[in-house]
Amino acid sequence: MQSGTFHTSYASDMALRPYWPQRVRIAIVLIAVLIFPWFADRYWLNLANTIAIAAIGAIGLNILVGYTGQISIGHGGFLAVGAYTAGLLAVRLDMPMWITIPVASLFTALVGAFFGLPSARLKGLYLAIATLASQEIIIWLLTHGKLLGIGESLSLPPATNNLFGVPLNALGNNDFVFYWITVGFLALTVIFVSNLFRSRAGRAFVAIRDQDIAAQVIGVDIFRYKLLAFATSSFFAGLAGALTAHYRGIISWERFTIDTSILYLAMIIIGGLGSVSGSIYGAAFMVLLPAMLANLARSVSGVVPDINSYLPFIQQGAFGLAIILFLIFEPEGIVKMWRNVKDYFRLWPFSY
Amino acid sequence: MRNERRWFSMLALMLALALLLAACGVQQQPPATGGGTGGPPIKIGAIFDLTGPTADVGTPYSKGQIAFIEWKNANGGVAGRQLQLISQDYAYEVPRAEELYTQFVTQDKVVVFSGWGTGDTEALKGKITADKIPFISASYSATLANPAETPYNFLVAPTYSDQLIIAMKWALDDWKAKGKSGVPKFAYLINDSPFGRSPLADGTAFAKANGVETPLEVPSPRGATDLTPQLTQIRDFGANYVFLQNVSSPAALAIKNAKSLGLDVQFVCLNWCANELLIKLAGQDAEGVVGAIPFSPEGEGAKVALNFAREKGIDYGGADSTFVQGWTAMSILVAGIERTLKDGKELTGENIKNTLETMGPIDTGGVTLPVVFSSTDHAGLKSLRMFRVQNGKWVAITDFISAK
Repeated sequence: MQSGTFHTSYASDMALRPYWPQRVRIAIVLIAVLIFPWFADRYWLNLANTIAIAAIGAIGLNILVGYTGQISIGHGGFLAVGAYTAGLLAVRLDMPMWITIPVASLFTALVGAFFGLPSARLKGLYLAIATLASQEIIIWLLTHGKLLGIGESLSLPPATNNLFGVPLNALGNNDFVFYWITVGFLALTVIFVSNLFRSRAGRAFVAIRDQDIAAQVIGVDIFRYKLLAFATSSFFAGLAGALTAHYRGIISWERFTIDTSILYLAMIIIGGLGSVSGSIYGAAFMVLLPAMLANLARSVSGVVPDINSYLPFIQQGAFGLAIILFLIFEPEGIVKMWRNVKDYFRLWPFSY
Repeated sequence: MRNERRWFSMLALMLALALLLAACGVQQQPPATGGGTGGPPIKIGAIFDLTGPTADVGTPYSKGQIAFIEWKNANGGVAGRQLQLISQDYAYEVPRAEELYTQFVTQDKVVVFSGWGTGDTEALKGKITADKIPFISASYSATLANPAETPYNFLVAPTYSDQLIIAMKWALDDWKAKGKSGVPKFAYLINDSPFGRSPLADGTAFAKANGVETPLEVPSPRGATDLTPQLTQIRDFGANYVFLQNVSSPAALAIKNAKSLGLDVQFVCLNWCANELLIKLAGQDAEGVVGAIPFSPEGEGAKVALNFAREKGIDYGGADSTFVQGWTAMSILVAGIERTLKDGKELTGENIKNTLETMGPIDTGGVTLPVVFSSTDHAGLKSLRMFRVQNGKWVAITDFISAK
């Protein structure tokens, strides 16, 4: 907290970004986000879209794990529910994406609340195993999905990629157009979730995380708010899944296995538990790490000729190493590192 | 603690710098290798599975493709131009495949692409069509063979569906040849993925048309170390022939488990488990296993590949037929490029596609029958021979059989 700031109105006291450096920073970020797609090629746009979609999913998971303290390793399953709901609506009923995305998100919220039921009785590791079960049940339904009439993969008709009747491919190439859609949804998600934790429900989530018994004593309806946390979290998982379905145009269950759930957990641990911006940093880190390692290997392959044959192992090692290093040196994640940097310069040159 | 923190931020800073360097690095064009007479190198993109669940066969396949490019370059390249293979491991992960494909196509400007798995090839098919990149992959899923839907996907082997139907034809003949009455019972033991399930619907339709009861479908879980429960299910069903649509390691496991279970069935391997790795892994238990091998490691073309590997000391883990398969698949793609240049056409995806469709049979030196693509059918091969493991070697037991 910065000292020397005196709020003189309720509005300034409640502001999300009360200090001018924060406002300058958000302006710079916004300008960068708006300029980026005009200079980036499709490879970087593809990465940016992957990050934006992953960030929405990670923010969703952070609501549950970081803010409410309910461990979930079923996030991949909820992404799958969102993706397949959007996919089936698009394929079977020819619904455009501006209908399928909200419907898929809401439906996933319902499914999430259902699989959140065990949280009434279970805590910690026991709940983690219960969510693992939900992951496996969902994937089993999809792989043996003859009862849902799903084949191995689901191709969405390109015509369903339209916004209120405007076909997307008329607006530019797929990666470019989806940049605006994914980043737009990410912005909405960030605004919603940042404000959620200034509301009654958000404070109830945090109370449950910090001390569930104390929360109950002061009158928080634990069961209701736990279910609400599951539903909200799954809503964003569904949103991320539905965006994946429409962006990629084809989905198969291979994208949503237990590995995905663990990847999302890694994102929020590395980014910072209980932090919206941390979720975005974590998503960016996990998407960029393998890509940048590959690029690094390619640029030095002239000097170290055999590096390409070791690259796969380096990539896998780097993933594990990143998580271990973060857990040892900065358990609070990238967001805390960023805060340390800010604190350093705030006090510079007279740090204590 | 203070020092540790400083050390860590130093490390983090160095990592950040390295990543930044990497980000800048890709923007530069790699220097042209060789410097042939005919112009800049021809760029070919490829993704391989070297660390994922299909890495056992993915590795020798990738070595075969890389070796072919080396061999071609050592022999003067294509029309005086060198070939440049831009490849990377994608660990059988669909998102990674999409990322690498986009990078190779938009930044490196590759003209053709060689892929690997069924899930990722299907995920990429929309992009492939939009980018007009002639694409071969190691997935022979029948859904990719129709040019009306996927005009740039080419299949260099009989589709998985055809392979399964051919294997079933052989099984029905074998049943009769053994003098048994009635019809046999079939079961599938498959990889739990789009790759595994790809041929099942067509296979089941064929089986039913021949009066065989609907085959039992048993997926073997990824990374399983014991398949006894799955095999018990097959035993209770009473199957006589078990068709394995899987890669070598899990298939070998199934064969060994079946032996210790005392299960009396005939295993029939499709393409990706019918190779030398299976014999190496299953040892004695592999004797008598039958396989549908589209790329025979015996033809003249295969000798060139295997001799080159021996000269250069390339270690592909003894999987001759998989190495030859990678080599041959790449040679078919390069044949299209070579012909396009010879016809004096510009090297674009569209021209290469048209050339492949119209150039007539492509000779693979006896590894397969000549490969023919047409504008209405992108499944280049229709027939293959069945092999059996005898004394630790795959021996051909039939002539070329086709599914139709």
